[in-house]
Amino acid sequence: MTTTSSVSTPQFHSFPIQPASLLWASKHWFSPNVVKPRRDFVLSFSLPNCNRVLLINPKFRFRAAINNDNNNSANPEDEEEEEQCIQDTGKAVVNNSESESGTTKLLDWKKDPISKFQGMITTLPPFVFVMKRGAGSNFVMKSRPSRPGSVADLVRRGQLRSDRRGISTPLKYEDPFNNPLVKVGKSNSTIEICGKVYRLAPVTLTEEQQAIHQRRRSRAYQWKRPTIFLKEGDPIPPDVDPDTVRWIPANHPFATTASDIDEDLAQSNVYQKHGVPFRIKAEHEALQRKLEALQNEQKLNKLVIDTGNAKEFERPFRFNAKANELVEQNPLNSQSGDSKPSKPDRTPNPFNSSSSSEEMQKP
Amino acid sequence: MLTLKPLPANTKPSLLSSLTPFRPKTQTLTKPFKPHSNLAIQSVLQWNRKPELAGQTPRVVVITSGKGGVGKTTTTANVGLSLARLGFSVVSIDADVGLRNLDLLLGLENRVNYTLVEVMNGDCRLDQALVRDKRWSNFELLCISKPRSKLPLGFGGKALVWLVESLKSRQEGCPDFILIDCPAGIDAGFITAITSANEAVLVTTPDITSLRDADRVVGLLECDGIRDIKMIVNRVRTDMIKGEDMMSVLDVQEMLGLALLGVIPEDTEVIRSTNRGYPLVLNKPPTLAGLAFEQAAWRLVEQDSMKAVMVEEEPKKRGFFSFFGV
Repeated sequence: MTTTSSVSTPQFHSFPIQPASLLWASKHWFSPNVVKPRRDFVLSFSLPNCNRVLLINPKFRFRAAINNDNNNSANPEDEEEEEQCIQDTGKAVVNNSESESGTTKLLDWKKDPISKFQGMITTLPPFVFVMKRGAGSNFVMKSRPSRPGSVADLVRRGQLRSDRRGISTPLKYEDPFNNPLVKVGKSNSTIEICGKVYRLAPVTLTEEQQAIHQRRRSRAYQWKRPTIFLKEGDPIPPDVDPDTVRWIPANHPFATTASDIDEDLAQSNVYQKHGVPFRIKAEHEALQRKLEALQNEQKLNKLVIDTGNAKEFERPFRFNAKANELVEQNPLNSQSGDSKPSKPDRTPNPFNSSSSSEEMQKP
Repeated sequence: MLTLKPLPANTKPSLLSSLTPFRPKTQTLTKPFKPHSNLAIQSVLQWNRKPELAGQTPRVVVITSGKGGVGKTTTTANVGLSLARLGFSVVSIDADVGLRNLDLLLGLENRVNYTLVEVMNGDCRLDQALVRDKRWSNFELLCISKPRSKLPLGFGGKALVWLVESLKSRQEGCPDFILIDCPAGIDAGFITAITSANEAVLVTTPDITSLRDADRVVGLLECDGIRDIKMIVNRVRTDMIKGEDMMSVLDVQEMLGLALLGVIPEDTEVIRSTNRGYPLVLNKPPTLAGLAFEQAAWRLVEQDSMKAVMVEEEPKKRGFFSFFGV
């Protein structure tokens, strides 16, 4: 109890002292430490050491602003000792004589806003309790490193990368050759970069020297850039100059160059600026054609409408598109060199089984 | 090199430009600039001058080296984003087919859904395969293929020629720069990558293995008709050069006989930025290597080359009032 009094009295005595101390008082009054014990109140209330406190209504309990700078890291037991419980019957009944003297002093300094506030505590504890609850929750929010769901929280959890957020800010200097980090010496013979001074040596390479090197290289390396890649063993196409062929071994990744699309088609695909990409369009059209073919076929068959089969219709449709794409993606499987329109012929027809469903589509 | 610029170079003092790579300030923003879609982006930039774009657009630049691991992809990412920050529209193509990494360096790996292979197959359009960087929206990435997919590149380098043609005629305007990140080696991937290029940036490190490969690659490029070849010497350590444990940049230049686009000092930040997927040039504050990449990008725009190189470190002279920050 001596600790309690020795710590709590300076707070009350400090009120008449001018604004700085008021700030001190108010700061500690609302500091998170004030709020924190409120949380473990439920636990501490059942503890036997609370018997020393006369508790009429256990809902409200506050710790006097005893959190000096030196006891911020006090363990919960110490805090327990330092706490006081105040009842909300309209009178603060405290088992500490020092605190009683503190409350009398409080009443003397009612004109001071803080002391008014403290007076309110003594007179209107339930109201203060509500206020304190509000203030407490605010400060609990602030005392956390980041609110859940906030950007800071996302960074903390590794969902966002702090160094990659947003757009990088523009450069503060105007010139990579002349800025606070790069300065040329007055005589143009030194340069200071990032605080280090370097001596500058002029480049002596002349045009003649460059030309000599070029001639040397043209003698040393005689090369004609290949314009076509062929797998070793492949026949040379008739219109191709054998000097322009790059022979690549059969196990090289580039050797799997046999494409299912011809050159013109690939070129037009690269040039395409708008609209549906070729393959997507081709697949769609192929399926459309297949659908129409099936519809025509079933018209002839005059099958009965089966609503159950109608639902099954969509699924193999999409599955077929996927499977078809996979077949196309793997060049090993598509050595035939066919272009897209021939694709539906290669795929198995999944619609034969659900032929009766086609009747649904008919007008 | 200065003669290639569209505007007369007499605004620049000849002494300064001949001695140092540094140019005096010129208010180039007031000059008639090519009307382009990224005007809004330019206004965001706080530059009071811009490099003058030399040559015809699109400038198709292949970034190659011969040897692997010398920094082709790092150079592509950093020069590309520097160009984008300077207000130019850039399409960066990762032509490293089997072992693509440019998307990782740029932090765009999760956004690559379609590649050029899908475009050629007709699974998507070209504009759907271009991945726009959210940091600088005038920077776009295109990968040639997915890591494990097989390539229908029987067309050789034709695919990239079509690609460049298609980009030229696109609705939002022709990009200013098309940077092609070339794979290592001189295999089919290299041939594919250089086919559509008009100019080349050779990345090399100051060691003999890299230099031999570089010389070979330059020879092949010259045979192919690419005459505008400049080099970036990467991973330069001035302390080792001073101790004569490393070839100096001028030694490298003497061996290869190429104009210097940039000298990139060894910087631990390169690895860090690679791991983060955040190119070095976006770092705040800028690092040594980031500044060097920015300068290289500037020279690339102006088709300029270095006139002086940093050779050694000098102890910083401290004035009497330097203690007070004067």
